[in-house]
Formats: sequence, C-alpha cells, structure tokens
Amino acid sequence: MGDIAYDVIIVGAGPAGLGAAVYTSRDRLKTLMLEKFMPGGQIANTDRIENYPGIERIDGPGLIGEMQKQVENFGAEIKTGCEVTSLEKLPDGNIAVHCDKDKFTARVVILGPGSNYRKLGIPGEEEFRSAGAGVSYCGTCDAPFFRGKQVVAVGGGNTAAEETLHLAKFADKVTMIHRRDEFRAAKVLVEELLEKVNEPNSNLIVKYSTVATAIEGQGKVQSIKLKNVKSGQEEGYPCDGVFIFIGMEPNTDFLKGFVELTEKGSIKCDCAYLRTSVPGVFVAGDCRIGATMQLVTAVADGVIAAMMLKEYFRDPNWWKEPVSDLLQPGGW
Amino acid sequence: MNQGKAINISDTDFESQVLKSEVPVLVDFWAEWCGPCRMAGPVLEKIAEQYDGRLKVCKLNVDEGRETAIKYDVMSIPALHIFKGGQVVDQITGVTPNFESDLKKKIDPHLE
Repeated sequence: MGDIAYDVIIVGAGPAGLGAAVYTSRDRLKTLMLEKFMPGGQIANTDRIENYPGIERIDGPGLIGEMQKQVENFGAEIKTGCEVTSLEKLPDGNIAVHCDKDKFTARVVILGPGSNYRKLGIPGEEEFRSAGAGVSYCGTCDAPFFRGKQVVAVGGGNTAAEETLHLAKFADKVTMIHRRDEFRAAKVLVEELLEKVNEPNSNLIVKYSTVATAIEGQGKVQSIKLKNVKSGQEEGYPCDGVFIFIGMEPNTDFLKGFVELTEKGSIKCDCAYLRTSVPGVFVAGDCRIGATMQLVTAVADGVIAAMMLKEYFRDPNWWKEPVSDLLQPGGW
Repeated sequence: MNQGKAINISDTDFESQVLKSEVPVLVDFWAEWCGPCRMAGPVLEKIAEQYDGRLKVCKLNVDEGRETAIKYDVMSIPALHIFKGGQVVDQITGVTPNFESDLKKKIDPHLE
C-alpha cells in the first residue's frame, strides 16, 4: 500500500462526516476526520433539536458530543483546527488532501464541508456585519445584545421561526419580514410563532410579502428599507439590529477545479450513491445537489457514502456503473 | 509572555492586560452559549501559539465582562478586536469561512 496512511479521509466533522465515521470506524477502516474548527458544523449553533427521531429534545453541542465520543471509541481520528485547502487525485488512484502544511492520503475521501449563512446581498449588509454593528446571522449568539431594542428578522423557514422566537425573549420589539404570504417552516413552529404574534401586546409582529432592500445607519444599524412585493410600496423602518435567517450556501470554494460543482457551488453527484465526478470521492450533507439541509439527512448521507465506498474498494470500475435495482452491500 | 496560550480576562484586569499591554492584543469577546464562539476557540489558541511574544490573545466572556463589552459597542459575537497602544486598530466579527487566514490578515499589519 506504499505510503497510504488512511482508508478513508472525511472532510468536515459535522453530522454528515460523523455519520460516515460511525460506519467506517466500526468497520475497522482507518478513518481520519479533518475539521476546520471543531466538530459540529452549523448544528452546533442550535440550542433546540426536536426532529431527530428517537431523541425528544437535545441541543446541538450535546448531540455532536455524543457522536464524537461514539466515533472516537470506534477508533476514528479527528484533527480539529485543520483547514483543507486542496485535494488531488494521485496517479495510483488514491487521493491526497492538503491541510496547512500537512498532506494526508487515503483510498477514499468523503466530502462533508457543510454550508454557511446565505447573505441577502443588499447594501449595508456586509458593512454592518463585518463591523459588528447590528447585522447578525445567529440569533442564539447575539439576541442578548438587543435587550430593550428593536430588531428586524428576515426569513420564513424553520431556523427563522426558531431564532425569531428566541429574539422575542430579549428585544423590546421584533418585526419578522417574510417575502411570501405564508410560512414554509414546520407547522409546529408556525403555530408557536403565530401564537406569540397573537398574544395581547405582543412584541412580535410579522410583515408578509415583504423584502429588505437596504440596511442603513450612521456607524451602526438605524433602519432597514422594506418593500412590499405586491404593492411595490417602500418604507424606511427604524431598528437597532437586523437578523438574517434565509438559509445556507455550500462551503465549496476550496473544491473548485477538483470536483464538478453547480453554478451556485453545490457538489454534483448521483443522488443515490453520492459519487462525485472524481472516482473515490463521495459527498455527504448540505453541500451536495439536492440536499434537504436537515440534520437527519446529513447523517444519512454520511452513512450512504460509508456503505457505498466498499463497492468502490471491491471494484474501482463500480464508479461508472448505473444505480442498481437491488444492491446489497455486504459486510455490515 | 503568556506561554503561547490565550488568557482569560475580565472587566477588572482589562486595563492592565489590554490597554497597558506592550504588545498588540487580540481580544475575543465570547460567551458559553454562542456556538460560533466555540468554533473560534481552537483557532485563537493556534494564533496565540504562533504569535507568541509578538501578540497577546485575551478572552473576555461577555457575561462576566459586560461593562467592557458595552463600552466597545459589541453587538455580535464572537467579536475580535485588535488593540494597540490602548486603542482599537481593527476588528473582525463572526466566524468567517476562512477564519484563520482572515484573522491573520487583520493582525499582521499591526505587528512591528
């Protein structure tokens, strides 16, 4: 095997990578996880998970801590603070992963770099965010700084609903703006949100069919420009902070030129076995095409990749084979 | 200096540790309940080690150092402020996708 250090390298120790590592390490494959920060990814920011089947309620760091313990007990190695900068396919078919000054090689790589906050891309957003002057993407982190203040929350999905409810515990007034005329978040969250809105003297109001077009202020956020998408009417709306919860975008810049990506940066793959354009390189989680951006599906992706890599070990030509009708990966 | 480790400070020793420091100081405003702050932690330890002797890295828990956080208008954490000669000379807020290199780009110009 020459200088091959690992059977499997997993890039990213979020739910997708950890899901994969449970299976690979349990199968005694020599597994290395490379993580830019520390294990967890986006889910580490969540203080309330109640859609992971079998677990009634847990916080993100708690669940991740359990997953980490589990994979380490099975022998997986996790290197944190290790940012992958590039990958290369070696002439012998193995894959080299570069990370700072280190280089690791493996027979198979599973890419699970995850995603990051999507930006609105409106004037003022980046300026006030980078200055820490009133634009935030994390309600859990920054809500306490807005005690007694007025904030605007942008978005309409699950995270937006949860984070807005969290904000309403701190701020004097929270205005949630949503570009559609109804919510697409899980019904249980929408009910909770609307219940809060309908309380007498509620500090939470919702503006439907409304988008933000600019964030303004002298040195810090003082107002947001809103536009009603139906009437076209615009207004300057005073606020001290703007929280943006409009979804995620993939962390795939470092993969440009290595695997095929879509225009928006998602990793292309066959969505059954999660094979990318490079033989031996699988993808799992938020960063792939068709991702549902859920904790459970990210974990499931990791497991699929971990099972299918055995087909590739058995026969590298499997990579080009079409999706099978009744495949029964052996040995699990 | 601090043996290449980040040190915990509070409102009471902020002046002596940060404002009167002879070398530039990177102050991390953070909190236990902030996920991205926990993500930033290992990167800051790495910076403390790599810049040992040239830069001091201090961590201020905003729940314990509330006055200082308010004084420096912290509205979003993690907030990383670079102090030189008692003044804020640059800052970075939030954990960016290329956090380590982004942080170094902000720090390097302020070191002699």
